[in-house]
Amino acid sequence: MSTSCRRMFLGQRFLRENSATSIPTFPKSFASFPVFANTEHRRRQKETRLRSLHSSFRHQSFHVSSAARTRTQDKTPSTQCRLPSDFLSTIQSRHPELKISTNPYDLDSHGHGESYHPSSPPDAVIYPSSVEQIRDIFSLCCREVLDDDCDSAVVEVVSVIPYGAGTSVEGHLNMLLPTEDEILKVPSSMFTGHDGSDTYRTIKVRRRGGISIDMSNFQQIGDVGAGDLFVKVGAGVTRNTLNEALRHTGLQFMVDPGADASIGGMVACGASGTAAVKYGTMRENVLALTAVLPPTKILSSDSDACHDVAKPEIVHCGTTALKSSAGYNLTALLTGSEGTLGIVTECTVKLHPIHNNVIAAVCAFDDLHTAAEAVTMIRMMGIPVSRIELLDEVSVQAFNKSLQSTEKSEAINQKQTEAKLHLQPMELKPTLFMEFSAHSEKAVLEDLTAAQSICVADFNATNFVSASDDETRQALWAARHRLYYSSIALRSGDGEREGATPRSTLLTDACVPLSHFADILSATARDVKELGVIGPCFGHAGDGNFHCIMPMVESDTEDYRKRVFQVNENLIQRVISVGGTCTGEHGVGYGKKRYLERMYGSGGVQLMTSVKKALDPWNVMNPGKIVDV
Amino acid sequence: MSRNQPIGVPSHQSIAYHLSSQQYNKTMKILVPIKRVIDYAIKIRVDPTKGPHAVQQANVKMSMNPFCEIAVEEAIRLKEAKKSKDDEVVAVSIGPKQCSETIRTALAMGADRGIHIETKGDVRGDYIDLQPWGIANLLKGVVEKEDKVDLVLLGKQSIDSDCGQTGPLLAGLLNAPQATFAAKVTREDDGSFVVDRETDAGTETIKLKPSNAPAVITCDLRLNTPRYPTMPNIMKAKKKPVQVISLEDMVKELGLNLDDVLKPRNQVVEVYEPPPRKEGEMVESVDVLIGKLKGKGLVG
Repeated sequence: MSTSCRRMFLGQRFLRENSATSIPTFPKSFASFPVFANTEHRRRQKETRLRSLHSSFRHQSFHVSSAARTRTQDKTPSTQCRLPSDFLSTIQSRHPELKISTNPYDLDSHGHGESYHPSSPPDAVIYPSSVEQIRDIFSLCCREVLDDDCDSAVVEVVSVIPYGAGTSVEGHLNMLLPTEDEILKVPSSMFTGHDGSDTYRTIKVRRRGGISIDMSNFQQIGDVGAGDLFVKVGAGVTRNTLNEALRHTGLQFMVDPGADASIGGMVACGASGTAAVKYGTMRENVLALTAVLPPTKILSSDSDACHDVAKPEIVHCGTTALKSSAGYNLTALLTGSEGTLGIVTECTVKLHPIHNNVIAAVCAFDDLHTAAEAVTMIRMMGIPVSRIELLDEVSVQAFNKSLQSTEKSEAINQKQTEAKLHLQPMELKPTLFMEFSAHSEKAVLEDLTAAQSICVADFNATNFVSASDDETRQALWAARHRLYYSSIALRSGDGEREGATPRSTLLTDACVPLSHFADILSATARDVKELGVIGPCFGHAGDGNFHCIMPMVESDTEDYRKRVFQVNENLIQRVISVGGTCTGEHGVGYGKKRYLERMYGSGGVQLMTSVKKALDPWNVMNPGKIVDV
Repeated sequence: MSRNQPIGVPSHQSIAYHLSSQQYNKTMKILVPIKRVIDYAIKIRVDPTKGPHAVQQANVKMSMNPFCEIAVEEAIRLKEAKKSKDDEVVAVSIGPKQCSETIRTALAMGADRGIHIETKGDVRGDYIDLQPWGIANLLKGVVEKEDKVDLVLLGKQSIDSDCGQTGPLLAGLLNAPQATFAAKVTREDDGSFVVDRETDAGTETIKLKPSNAPAVITCDLRLNTPRYPTMPNIMKAKKKPVQVISLEDMVKELGLNLDDVLKPRNQVVEVYEPPPRKEGEMVESVDVLIGKLKGKGLVG
């Protein structure tokens, strides 16, 4: 086999293994990553003939991704839909206007987020517009079928993963299905058509594929009444769309993860961003939400399709009041549940007024540890900061490099406003980016002065610059704004070989108490250097949360990739040892499940499993994430 | 400066000449007409049974026309660049009583005062009843009534009618120097405005010299990114003065004819949604694709 052929073969094998039972550690092949270079296109044409020889190993997801790249290829073989044969037709006949797609490109795009986790597509994508449609879909997800070959009743379960903007970085959107049938004994009352007797029935649970429920039709944005500091939005609204709609109200939604994520997705993963140090994460900004719970009843074979009893509950959690002590905190339970407990359809989020006076400031430190200590001191002294981000030298180098090569900077240079800024390369030192905002000029200047004196006098910061006008502030923060893409561009292609992309990048995420932040951050940066991988580190320093961006390219050796994942493993073990968390904002997905026992003990994990079983007894919702059942 | 001096006038008198002529204003006044339209992010709904009134406006989110927002932003930037205390940015809008909210947004962005020419509820602003000719005549009257307006900044077009006519019509009525589709505006010390315009052939730079009439500039998308008004500024804007005058009274005051202003020069014949896109056809291979394209006569 040629090298390229072998790579394809390995890629297919790897993807087949991608089930709930095995946790993929290193992507063995990057064959499923999107490709941009023209050379790839021509190479694939030659490979079409070779691939037909390996038809026995065809796996839908691999071919779907490659087909998406090169349109000159033959049409992909019909994907084997794992759903029950009447599943989609029943839903469609009940809701003729409902859009359902089995198009291989749609399936592939709904099988992955923006991370290195390869695509595991669903068998269909459904685009509901109302809560009732979702309930009807759910009522079919757990059905008894008549099977003469089987003694016990057979129950077919279809899994569901809700899809927002597809910006997950921990593999949440991967359809990971249990491969084996289960034999269970359940009370007869769980069947919709039960005879009232107090008996148990043995059933065989068969998994019949999964669907993606795309929430992009849930675009409602409520009105902000006079004096309201909240707004109700549909789960499919993205945070930038929301803030654009709020542009004349003087209020903004202040949770700002790097991606333009959907509000529903942000609730699901407990997202946060640079403004968290002042305004909090999603947990602090969700006041109320509406969710559809997964089905608990089995639709008997003699019941009507979409039987009312089989339709799951809608829950309204929370209140628009700022404080509440009324009952169990269901909003907190669903926030961060990563689509494993239900589908959020609507959310009421907190809004904050935009201040008049904003000052941005930047300064450099001699080493990363000192910089992190300075941040800890600023927080200990209670100086209000609205953003405080720390970049290491490699990150600054990435920025300087992005300024040099003009083609790359065209791609990074998305906003036209940034084009007018005259950006200068920065000193290769760990750099702190701060933002202060207050209701009066005097207050904001006092905050700035206090922080400046700590940085410069106590921690020997150099080159402390500040600005209050919009353009200069943007220029000062340019290195931080462009960080993600300029880091990936550190390993850019050179015409012949492909460069790194977000789909080939490992983005770490961990959070520690501020008292340990300096030590852990520098230990990680040291580890990166010692293991010889390219990995700019940066942190939402005010929260003790930091990330390491490690781009990989197709031509990387197994050893290099091993070291990249080793950096992440070392980092997380270090972090948990000091009482931190294996994920500050990205979520657990399936890659970080194994750390939860160390963090919470077996009792904690068991409690989470009990909660999951209670809300989702059939493991319909996003199986294989957070906990295994 | 010396070029503006008439020949033969003694130098000590030339200073008085400059101060009294409109060519050199110490304080700058910018008039910004703004329009309230359906918000750009809203999907337009068309009711085909309503004839020319097919576009549904009831219970639909309305905002300032995006190009007008850009004009307001530019006016405020010019004022901030000049840094004189008495410069004024005046926002003027013609429409129903909810237009006052749109004017308040302009005030929150930094305009100093507003003029609201209020129309009756049934008068539609989106090209049905109020059309550019009528608006331009009204604005001419406002400019003359305001006196000593240095610049009228408008959006290049509104997103409901897409006419792009009000600015040029106004310039014509005022016999004013104009530059449309501005991508950059700067004010020189002698009161002239230098405008960069983007055209298909390249960028054109035009200098609008001070004259008896204000300069008229219409703003294009790339001119600036309008600021989001902050909450304190929104609160302050509630106290800024807005003169409200009914359309009928304004017309009378300006000596115009109401019918002339309201009578549409163009009649909307039909309003319909574009036909829905037909679903594409999936083909098996490139050869089949080429075959089909050839069959449709799209490739040779």
